[in-house]
Amino acid sequence: MIKIVKRDQPSRAIFFLTPVLAIFLTLAAGGLIFYILGFKPFEALKFFFIVPIADMYGFSELLLKATPLCLIAIGLSFCFKSNNWNIGAEGQLTFGAIVSGGVALLFYEQEGFYILPIVILAGAIGGMLYASIPAILKTYFNTNEILVSLMLVYVSKLILDYLVVGPWSNPEGFNFPETRQFTDSARLPLLFEGLRIHAGIFLALAAVVISWFVFYKTYLGFQMKVSGFSLKTAKYAGYKGKKMIILVFLISGACAGLAGVGEITGPIGQLHREVSPDYGFTAIIVAFLGRLHPVGIIFASLVVAITYLGAETAQIFMQIPKYTGQVFQGMILFFLLASDYLLFFKFKFIGSKK
Amino acid sequence: MNTNLKISNITKIYPGCVANENVSLEFNSGKIYALLGENGAGKSTLVKILSGVIIPDEGEIYLNENNLKLNSPLDAKKNDIGMVFQHFNLFETLSVFENLIIDSDEPRETLREKIDSIMKKYNFSIDLDIPVLNLSAGQKQKVEIIRCLIRSPKVLIMDEPTSVLTEQETSELFLSLKKFSEEGILIIYITHKLKEVMQLCDEVAVMRRGKLVSVSQIKNENIESLANKMVGQNLKTIKKKKEKTSSDQLINITNLNFISEDPFETNLNDINFSVNRGECLGIAGISGNGQSELFQVLSGEILSNKNSIEFNKNYIGDLNPQERREYMMAFSPEDRLEQAAIPQMAIFENVALNNFKSSNFFNNGLINENKIKEHSKKIISEFNVNTDNIELKSQFLSGGNLQKLIIGRELITSPDLLICFNPTWGLDVGAINYIHETLIKINEQNKSIILISTDTDELLKLSDKISVIHKGKLSKIMNADEVTSKKLGILMGGGN
Repeated sequence: MIKIVKRDQPSRAIFFLTPVLAIFLTLAAGGLIFYILGFKPFEALKFFFIVPIADMYGFSELLLKATPLCLIAIGLSFCFKSNNWNIGAEGQLTFGAIVSGGVALLFYEQEGFYILPIVILAGAIGGMLYASIPAILKTYFNTNEILVSLMLVYVSKLILDYLVVGPWSNPEGFNFPETRQFTDSARLPLLFEGLRIHAGIFLALAAVVISWFVFYKTYLGFQMKVSGFSLKTAKYAGYKGKKMIILVFLISGACAGLAGVGEITGPIGQLHREVSPDYGFTAIIVAFLGRLHPVGIIFASLVVAITYLGAETAQIFMQIPKYTGQVFQGMILFFLLASDYLLFFKFKFIGSKK
Repeated sequence: MNTNLKISNITKIYPGCVANENVSLEFNSGKIYALLGENGAGKSTLVKILSGVIIPDEGEIYLNENNLKLNSPLDAKKNDIGMVFQHFNLFETLSVFENLIIDSDEPRETLREKIDSIMKKYNFSIDLDIPVLNLSAGQKQKVEIIRCLIRSPKVLIMDEPTSVLTEQETSELFLSLKKFSEEGILIIYITHKLKEVMQLCDEVAVMRRGKLVSVSQIKNENIESLANKMVGQNLKTIKKKKEKTSSDQLINITNLNFISEDPFETNLNDINFSVNRGECLGIAGISGNGQSELFQVLSGEILSNKNSIEFNKNYIGDLNPQERREYMMAFSPEDRLEQAAIPQMAIFENVALNNFKSSNFFNNGLINENKIKEHSKKIISEFNVNTDNIELKSQFLSGGNLQKLIIGRELITSPDLLICFNPTWGLDVGAINYIHETLIKINEQNKSIILISTDTDELLKLSDKISVIHKGKLSKIMNADEVTSKKLGILMGGGN
């Protein structure tokens, strides 16, 4: 007989093992889905998870997709660790892209080393401004940040839509909903000839290192940890709760904004309607899959990035819609939350004979 | 028809704590049984087992000789065991009627008639069609009781039912319970209030630390004998040397007001008092009369007018708790696990919650872990915290050890004033004595204490001066040796 027993304390080993378990369960369930759709499960999974990264180009594409995911998830981990539920990173990314794109367009046909840093900074500020809206509403008007940050996503997408169709659209663009191409001085440099991977990856790595340092070595990180566990305790200890809420939202917004800059000044090179295939939402999965730990987030962003690539290969070679990628992302989150049950409970096998 | 409920050898073990150890009891209808014990004695666990909320590790329950397997509250209901919990389980926005029929499949009309006849029979008058949130606590409790009665239970268990009731409501409840009992419902009444046991019950079972220590007839007991059984030892009495205290004023509160936006909080109304060095001011009161708000205003969790609090000749009303600590104030809140400490964090991390600039826990925004650990070790040895592992998560400390850690953390910097709120709530006698001795000791070192407590004995034992808080207003401040517990009781009830 199997009995489910509550653990005396959450298991540390299980804490890091459940993400791995979740990935395996996702693969198994994915295989089953492919089988039901009439594909050979192993072959389909190979197309999904191995073929896309089998060569140098594929690997560079993997890093390209993982970069924004990692960057946003790191930012989100600041919010989530301190009990602030910012789920509007997609909006902050879009608004960061709008502001930095606007600045990049100002420098149309100009050159200079100073242009790129200004564009990057503009993106970070854009993301911060956008994230400050739910933060300020939460701290001063007691609104629910989940709702506000989520709804602002659609607002930012509509602003972007308006700009690329209207005032910012390319005058020589035959009415395509896109802006002019940015000047080369406003583009992030490519790392290798012929590959799309760009210098944005260094921004992501820097964010990883900085967040690790802040979380584990600084008073600010300690305060965030305390607030995450109990706001009452934070108040009793005398931490400035409101300032901290705003700060974590600003950090998170800056990271999302930078991810937006990376997209438009990296692979895209202009503003158009779709600057992000929902990186801002997927990064929520990445943050939790990585256990809100900086190193965990690196691995999680790589795993989740594969689902983007796999979906594209599967669409090309197996004629299944690329939205299968989202199915896989959903399954990862589902299985992760389900296996978290094991953190608090364990199975006890009881023999029938004693 | 007679009902006989028997529990035999019930054992329930939680990690690090035996909640029930081999408890066997027998109840017969026609009598009202009291289950008496301190906080944590195991009485709640036992009744939760009887109502199917908790499944025991070992032991059997028999109702009229039938062995019951109670795996869920539903099983208990099916077996005619009704339970009214201390905290109401009602949907506030639904109507009384909707709340009553929510777990029943009978047609509404039949239920309506049934409920009407129950209300008539027991003289309950509640409007069935208004939302529950408009009811008083006593009425809500009646709704819970009616919900049980609909199922015509054989057993009715009441878990500390009077903790939220007024005196009037309590006597009404007692009348109803006696009526139920006469009609053959077996009543088990859980409480730690001795007077109620004497007033209401026929038989009493006393529990202590998970074990059943005695079963006896009420007529053979009195309040003192029950108290001794409940606490287990004749309490060692600590006596405070009441010396003449200094006239050197340390803290002075003038015209302090707090108006809350939260309807569940109490407003503070024109609070004025002062405390001299070496003095302990006790603030008595029934819980919920503004103690929590007063603590927060004094600690700086709620800010007030700068001039309303003068401490050591500085005006500090507008400073937050951390800034006040720098002026040598220390705070020990009521809620150990949700406010004073974070159970999921290590002992040394909890120590860092009380952060003075001079303690150098954080230099230039960086954590100085060695310093914190060194400091933690000192607290553990000086304040007898029973552990040698400062990396242990504080949830694994017993209540007493955790409180020693918290008091130690607050006192090790030798503050001039300690403000504590129910410092011995829920602790065992040994820990209580230790905390009391510590508090007396700091008074002797010419440091001051503001002790907000709902425990009158504790206040009379430790305070030099006593005031009573009632509905957010402080009574006049009295010398402790002129105050009797009777006088306090009257003031706590709002009398004069």
